Amino acid sequence: MERATLYSKLSRLLVLVILFGGAVSFIVPFYVTLAMSLKSQSELATTSMWSWPREVTFQNYHTVLTNPMVSFASFLKNTAIITVISTIGTLFGCTVVAYGFARMSFAGRDRLFLVLLATMMLPGLLTMIPSYVIYAKIHWVNSFLPLTVPAFFGGGAFNIFLLRQFYLGLPKELDEAAFLDGASHWTIFHRIILPLSGPALATVGIFTFMGAWRDFMGPLLYLNDTEKQTLELGLRTYQSLNGTKWHLIMASTVLVSIPIIILFFIGQRYFVKGIVMTGLK
Amino acid sequence: MALKRFSILRFAMAATAVCACCIPAQVSAQTIHLTIRCWDGDDNIPPIYSAARSFEKEHPNIKVRVESVTDSYQEKLLSEVAAGIAPDVVHMDPGNIEKYAIRKALLPLNDFIAKSKYDIGAFYKNLIDAHTFHGLLYVLPRDIAPISAIYYNKRLFDEAKLPYPDGKWTWDFHERPELREHDFLWVIHQLSKEINGRVVRWGYAPSWQDLLWQQFSLSTGGRWADDYMHPMRMQYDDPKVMRAIQFAADLTLKYHWVPSATAISTVMQSSAKQAFAEQKIAMFQSGIWEVPFLRKELLKGKPGYFDWDIAMPPAYKDGTLHFPTGGSGYAIMSSTKHPWEAWLLTQWMGGVQGQYTLAATGMAQPAIQKLSRSAPWIPGPNSPVEERTPANRLMMDTSAPMVVFGPFGTEWAESSDFATRVFSKIWDGSAQAVDVIPEANKQGQQRLDYLRHEVKRPPFNWWIGGIVALALFSSLIVWVYWPERTIVRSPKERRENRAAYLFVMPWILGVVLFTAGPMLLSLLMSVADWDIIQPAKWRGLENFREAFFVDPRFWPSLKVTLVYTVFAVPLGVAASLALALLLNVKVRGIPVWRTCYYLPSVASGVAASMIWKRIFQPDGGLLNALIYGPDGHRNFLGLAGLLHPLAETNGQVNWLNNDHLALPALTIMSLWGAGGGMIILLAGLQGVPQYYYEAATLDGASVWHRFKSITVPLISPTLFFCVLTGFIGTFQSFTQALLMTDGGPNDATMFFGLHMYKSGFQALRMGYASALGWVLFFVVLAFTVLQLRMSKWVYYEGG
Repeated sequence: MERATLYSKLSRLLVLVILFGGAVSFIVPFYVTLAMSLKSQSELATTSMWSWPREVTFQNYHTVLTNPMVSFASFLKNTAIITVISTIGTLFGCTVVAYGFARMSFAGRDRLFLVLLATMMLPGLLTMIPSYVIYAKIHWVNSFLPLTVPAFFGGGAFNIFLLRQFYLGLPKELDEAAFLDGASHWTIFHRIILPLSGPALATVGIFTFMGAWRDFMGPLLYLNDTEKQTLELGLRTYQSLNGTKWHLIMASTVLVSIPIIILFFIGQRYFVKGIVMTGLK
Repeated sequence: MALKRFSILRFAMAATAVCACCIPAQVSAQTIHLTIRCWDGDDNIPPIYSAARSFEKEHPNIKVRVESVTDSYQEKLLSEVAAGIAPDVVHMDPGNIEKYAIRKALLPLNDFIAKSKYDIGAFYKNLIDAHTFHGLLYVLPRDIAPISAIYYNKRLFDEAKLPYPDGKWTWDFHERPELREHDFLWVIHQLSKEINGRVVRWGYAPSWQDLLWQQFSLSTGGRWADDYMHPMRMQYDDPKVMRAIQFAADLTLKYHWVPSATAISTVMQSSAKQAFAEQKIAMFQSGIWEVPFLRKELLKGKPGYFDWDIAMPPAYKDGTLHFPTGGSGYAIMSSTKHPWEAWLLTQWMGGVQGQYTLAATGMAQPAIQKLSRSAPWIPGPNSPVEERTPANRLMMDTSAPMVVFGPFGTEWAESSDFATRVFSKIWDGSAQAVDVIPEANKQGQQRLDYLRHEVKRPPFNWWIGGIVALALFSSLIVWVYWPERTIVRSPKERRENRAAYLFVMPWILGVVLFTAGPMLLSLLMSVADWDIIQPAKWRGLENFREAFFVDPRFWPSLKVTLVYTVFAVPLGVAASLALALLLNVKVRGIPVWRTCYYLPSVASGVAASMIWKRIFQPDGGLLNALIYGPDGHRNFLGLAGLLHPLAETNGQVNWLNNDHLALPALTIMSLWGAGGGMIILLAGLQGVPQYYYEAATLDGASVWHRFKSITVPLISPTLFFCVLTGFIGTFQSFTQALLMTDGGPNDATMFFGLHMYKSGFQALRMGYASALGWVLFFVVLAFTVLQLRMSKWVYYEGG
């Protein structure tokens, strides 16, 4: 018995060591970026990229933020607008639709659900070109519309699928009791089902939010003016303007990463819990 | 009820529309807004701003917005033309006029010039000719940019006891010491410096690799196209051209007097101008636009300052001298709402005022000959001290007649690449010019012929297309509802049916508008030739034939994608699983570990690409520092030895610039995102009941046995999900390649998606890109079906 505890203690230590080594290698790129962003141009040119700056300077951040051609504040604003709207759209769309698929019966439901599953498998690249053509022809290019409006129409097959699984897991007796009281589907949906789906919604919401926030291809295709660009695309614009000025590039990289990392820490606990709950397996 | 839901939708959509259009519209009736777009970056933009401000002062009713686009300038502009959102006035160079002119996207300037009696005769004649297409002038040139300035470091000339170059030097295919400072090769030999077999200073560098051989070739009478304005034949296999190419390579590889482009970018980690400013190169050749940079870098009194000037490049021994050139100006897009005001702006920015402002910075040589011979372009006794260098600027006027423009043409730009991509083998010494160029030239010629000989195609009939699309869509509806036709519903069921359709209506509309609609359009486009600017043409199955049998990038890009997918997905899932298993052990600080591993997956992709570019940097990059150690002599895990055959001249590998390592590098980078899969698998692991393990342990099952018999089957659905979505996603991935390598080197990271993206948005071949999309669709479909078939190993509880 004693030997067994020793054995398990040892193996735990081993796990800890491996975890530590792995974590270091995952985090090192962040450290290097931060370190480089805090060095002056001359120190960056002369010291190893591993080293912590001898003299911490915030000058690079100042230079980045005061660039006359790109405004990171407006990038942040644009990103926030697009992200919030498309997340709201997604949450609205996928809850309603998932309820329909999970709790109601209607003509052609199962086959429509098959269509939904098929669209999950569909390569998004296929629709990239024609979607651009359509948006170009209706003059939506260079506006937020292509990045926000589609979210209101169902909110993505995957999210619908996730929520439908979750709703299927809720006891059917809840609805039946309400039905006997004469409640309509809409009442059941927003009085009973919605209040119960908090964690699932949080998961879908956070994933959607993160996805929209980090989206690069969408803004690249649809946002042309610098002042309409998002953080992700704006970072690219800033970097192509500044070529090989690594001290500035790294400072802008850190700036753009800060909001999303803060967001991640706020929403952290929903990730694992939410996935378990929605029964994604 | 339904009404309430509907109003929420309407409100949300209205909110979207409001927010999307929240750029304030305070346009007063008289004010005209014009946008001017240029490609000058941070260093060169101030004079353009100031010219625009002075224009506004002159024309108070016009407000000018200056935009700077430094990344994919032409591609972006072309797609904006397609979307109808192009700026009013754009920066344009002769090589790109054709693709806009044939699409009628530019306004010819001839009428404006006649109307305002503008003196176009004052401009360099050859510059005007270069900006003319089919007899019409499309661009008002603002500058001519002969690549004829040899920047030289006076201090190093003094040290080597050499007289400053007076432009009377010549060159031959071998060094001629008897000519002394009149032999270019002798001079660069004197200026080069080697210590212990390691070059510490190079005598001369061209600003980019192709410049040197092009100058050699042009000066010895070698032409790599039959007609530089309308090239029909590709002639890289001309003996004179090949000799020039080989000689340029020899100067680097045999004589060590000229650094290769990779040596500049990797060993010195900079550009030729930067290396010149740091005195690692004694002379470098470029256009005059490097002046603002050098003035900023080399400030009198600051450490590292040295005197410098410019000189004429050497002529061939018979006195012939030609060099390539740049040159650009402003053009008016035909979509502008204010053509006359746009012309006023063009005339200002491209004409005397704009050129004057640019000339003062020393950055752009005026296109008007008179301005190119006087102050402020030519520094006089009254010019400010900081504007007197380079003193020899009159040289630029002398060199203007010696320039060679071109070869031009959209087809040339797309096809010459297939001939020139083998050059990298010549630069690194792995092949001789005469051995590889003839074959490559043939490939390029084939491509040129194919693009040039696109036959006249009939217009695409959208009516028939629409009917076909409608028929296909109807068949989907029939498939869904055919089984329902016999079902009889009670009134209650019918009510429920109606309510349910209200619930799922957003999705149904979404599928029709954003999935089925685009797919059907894509299907129609795949048999069309369409740039979405001009009317579409019927191309039938030619798009597919081109893909399978003609396009030299099709199979290689498919292969790159397959190889990447086959490695990256299993490795990624394995890494995710390993991490998830580790984190499923009850150790301290799980949330902290989880965060560490997951953080890279939430980091911005563009930021990640920048970080990893730096990690993969050959000299001083994180990865090479690990492998080779700080002094370059370590052999970490034997990796240095393993990678030795692929190493550059400095003994280390250049990950992203090596044909064999670029794709592995992207694969390594993809593993950084393993935390995403980890979270999902961790959720799966936590769903496995603990008592299964306890029971198995009591029965004496080993760790491996428990893993194999309990863990794997119970998380197999999650695992399967990761693999399946991993494959589907990875097949389409190309963002990182776009950001980090742009498909290079030598198409080693030309993913299928990237090829498709470039065909669609850079070449505006939307029809062909759609055809590629369908090919990808079927490849992904085949893989998905295959995996679903092979999914017997997946265990479904109770199923």
